[in-house]
Amino acid sequence: MGGSLARKDRTRAALLLAPAYLWLTLAVFLPLSAMAFFSLLSDVPFGDREWHVTLDNYRAFLETGTYAALLWKSVKLGVTVTALSVLAGFPCALVLAKVIRGRAREAMFLLVILPFWSNSLVRIFSWAIVLRGNGVLSAAIDAVLPWDVRVNLMFSPTAIVIGLVHSYLPYVILTSYLALQAIDDSLIEAARALGAPRRTILMRIILPLAAPGIVAGAVLIFVPVVGSFMEPRLLGGRLGTYYGTVIEDQFVAVFNWPLGAALSFILLAVVLAILAAASPALRRALR
Amino acid sequence: MRKLLLTSALILAAQGASADEIRVLNWQGYGTDLDWALAAFTEQTGHTVVHEYFTSEQEMLTKLRTNPGAYDVVLINSAYTAQAQAEGLIAPIDTAKITNFADLDPGLTGNADLNPAGALHGVPWTWGLTSIAVNTNDFAELPTSLSVLWDPAWTGRVSIRDDGLEAVQFAAMATGQNINAITDMEAVKEKLAALMPQITTFWSSENDWNQFMSAGDFAVATYWSGSAARSQAAGLPVAFVVPEEGAIGWLDGLSIPASSTHQDAAHAFIDWMVDPEFYVKWEPDGAPATSNTKAAAALPETSFNRAVLGDPAVVAKVQFMQPVSDADREAYLKLWQDLKAAQ
Amino acid sequence: MTHRTLARLGRAYLGLILVFLYAPILVMAAMSFNASAFYQLPFSFSTEWYQKLWHNREILAAAWRSVWIACVVTVLATATGTAASIALYRHDIPGKRLLQALLFPPIAIPWLITGTAMLIFFFGIGIDRGTPAVILGHVALALPYVIVVVTARLATFDPALEEAARSLGARPWTVTMRVTVPWILPGIVAGGLFAFAVSFDQFVVSYFLSEPGDTTLPVLIYTSIRKGFTPEINAVSTVIIAVSMGVMLLAARYSKFGGDR
Repeated sequence: MGGSLARKDRTRAALLLAPAYLWLTLAVFLPLSAMAFFSLLSDVPFGDREWHVTLDNYRAFLETGTYAALLWKSVKLGVTVTALSVLAGFPCALVLAKVIRGRAREAMFLLVILPFWSNSLVRIFSWAIVLRGNGVLSAAIDAVLPWDVRVNLMFSPTAIVIGLVHSYLPYVILTSYLALQAIDDSLIEAARALGAPRRTILMRIILPLAAPGIVAGAVLIFVPVVGSFMEPRLLGGRLGTYYGTVIEDQFVAVFNWPLGAALSFILLAVVLAILAAASPALRRALR
Repeated sequence: MRKLLLTSALILAAQGASADEIRVLNWQGYGTDLDWALAAFTEQTGHTVVHEYFTSEQEMLTKLRTNPGAYDVVLINSAYTAQAQAEGLIAPIDTAKITNFADLDPGLTGNADLNPAGALHGVPWTWGLTSIAVNTNDFAELPTSLSVLWDPAWTGRVSIRDDGLEAVQFAAMATGQNINAITDMEAVKEKLAALMPQITTFWSSENDWNQFMSAGDFAVATYWSGSAARSQAAGLPVAFVVPEEGAIGWLDGLSIPASSTHQDAAHAFIDWMVDPEFYVKWEPDGAPATSNTKAAAALPETSFNRAVLGDPAVVAKVQFMQPVSDADREAYLKLWQDLKAAQ
Repeated sequence: MTHRTLARLGRAYLGLILVFLYAPILVMAAMSFNASAFYQLPFSFSTEWYQKLWHNREILAAAWRSVWIACVVTVLATATGTAASIALYRHDIPGKRLLQALLFPPIAIPWLITGTAMLIFFFGIGIDRGTPAVILGHVALALPYVIVVVTARLATFDPALEEAARSLGARPWTVTMRVTVPWILPGIVAGGLFAFAVSFDQFVVSYFLSEPGDTTLPVLIYTSIRKGFTPEINAVSTVIIAVSMGVMLLAARYSKFGGDR
């Protein structure tokens, strides 16, 4: 490969690339531009509704404080879910990569990753069934404990966090596992032979080398969680109002698309800022 | 690949071709989707019916706005009929196509809210109350005041619908105000803020309500009179209460979207929905009050609706919902959204 | 603590995580066999909900729609994605890094944003909601996955093979179809299965783009959960989970995803 590109080759390459990139333009990049335009309108240009260009939608975000507070609430949710997923997922990946060997490892790895590819909606629905007041969790705990208990986690922030961790845990296990697998075992052996305590090996060798994988997993979790609306809606009850649900409402119920577009754009800015901050680690992890 | 696209195109064409399939937009489990009623309608007319549901009037209006041509019959609370008409979403009803029209209560067909711009835009179908219902396992004695919603004994076991207008109206009643002329918004806001910590979740449909009630999640929740009758019929330990502060009265009409391409079938469906036979058969399942005078006469004396809605003491307490101005509605929605966001 | 106990602890922990991941799904599936419409316990076995499911026109239509949309998406995304991967691999195109970076927005931007943006744009240019819009959106979401998977497979391909075929006088198209494509076929199949899974499981974008009465299965499940449901939804969910896990097991076999390479 390499060298200067002949004209014919260039045409051929363009022909091969065109369908994919035209598609992405039509379905992703143009829509994002259209949304930028919509976020500057006063009303949906629909039927005989009056509209003009305005910054009111962004002003609404800055002035009322409600939306900013919700965005902050969603960011906090993202941080909580990400932290819990990393704390629970990294040891799991470590066991997979460094303790279990051979075919068992392949099987276990698949088992962990499989739910990630099953329908997220169905999994959230599963939690709704499990967490209900007279649900299975309650019945199970009741059977074990001698006294009468009434466990009702449903419709609480805890329920939302449990559902989201369940949805996104496999991400961080996957990325951490890939990073851990790349660590040469002989490096760890050498450190051990030199008498390094286990703690030191973990802190000085394994964690630094696996860091890009952990960061990649964390970003992959944080980004969708900040924009989640289905999970809070189904598991949160009266506490289930988040930034994502308000955006959903603008499009589905209130019919204030311009405000919804502006709120989406602000979210996009936050997400891009986070991606940019994490990009060095991401680049290392994806290499 | 071409073959696949062709097949896809054929499937799409086939779906569009069945001209006699009408789509009804309604609350889930609210009469129009009864299996036996649909089977009878299909047998009589050959038309088939599919359903789509909404969980709030806001959502219903947005569905009509953004999906022109998708719906043929829509249930609209009379307080919203004028708004839907003003936005050009619904068409006038051709009463000549409704054979049962002459039997409908003239007081209801002449209702000003159903006749925006001087023409009937919604056929009065049912009316009833929105009040509270309690779990009789929790209440040995039925509550007499709306204040039960704010009772700390039931913290975490109270529910209302996620609807700004309805929430505001309940708070208005609890603070002794007229739901159609709220003067003290501060009191309403305070009352709702105090209600929020009581609530476990918002309910969005009758089916939802029944599941939560049977799970013991609810002790007391707002509810519709007809639905309460249906829940009782389904064996749930439920009692409908009209407290001393009053209850919200509503009148539901069936409308036809202006963009409907099956106007005749839509009229035929509405005609069946106001047929005495339909109402009488619906009654044992727990139906709201009928708009058809013949049907009302045919109902047994002991029916739930006669017992509750026929009691003059109850009727005196009812405040009927009237259309809300755009400015008020926006203020209510904003108040409600802020309250939810602050949780 | 000895190394042995530590390893045992680690395995036990892994077991716990698996319980956390699978228990709710199993419970949900078990409830599809419970007779009570209100999910009341004690459990009483019944296949009633599966029988009802079998006669539920609406759910079956949505399931069928989900499947054929996923098939169309798979074909379109795999074809365009493979073509792009080959071009990116074979030619030293100016702006290659930018082109590769452009693949990430569909993955990295929350679907809520992409979905609502598509709704606005398609509404604005008159494509409107409906199945064509859903397919447009799904293919865009699936493309990056196909390109990433196929590119990974291409990395194991020896360009000398193409050189050899070319020096023997094969035309470029023949080289591609007879040499390159057969070699990367496992990658293409895996990419296709990923595309199928992305489309079949996609909820958010479908939710904003599908038309009333023309919904996909995940959208139907969401609206049902919000607007009233019976254990039929458990039954159909159980079927979906079985299907998507089956597809992914196949994909894993083809791509040797995560195994010892």
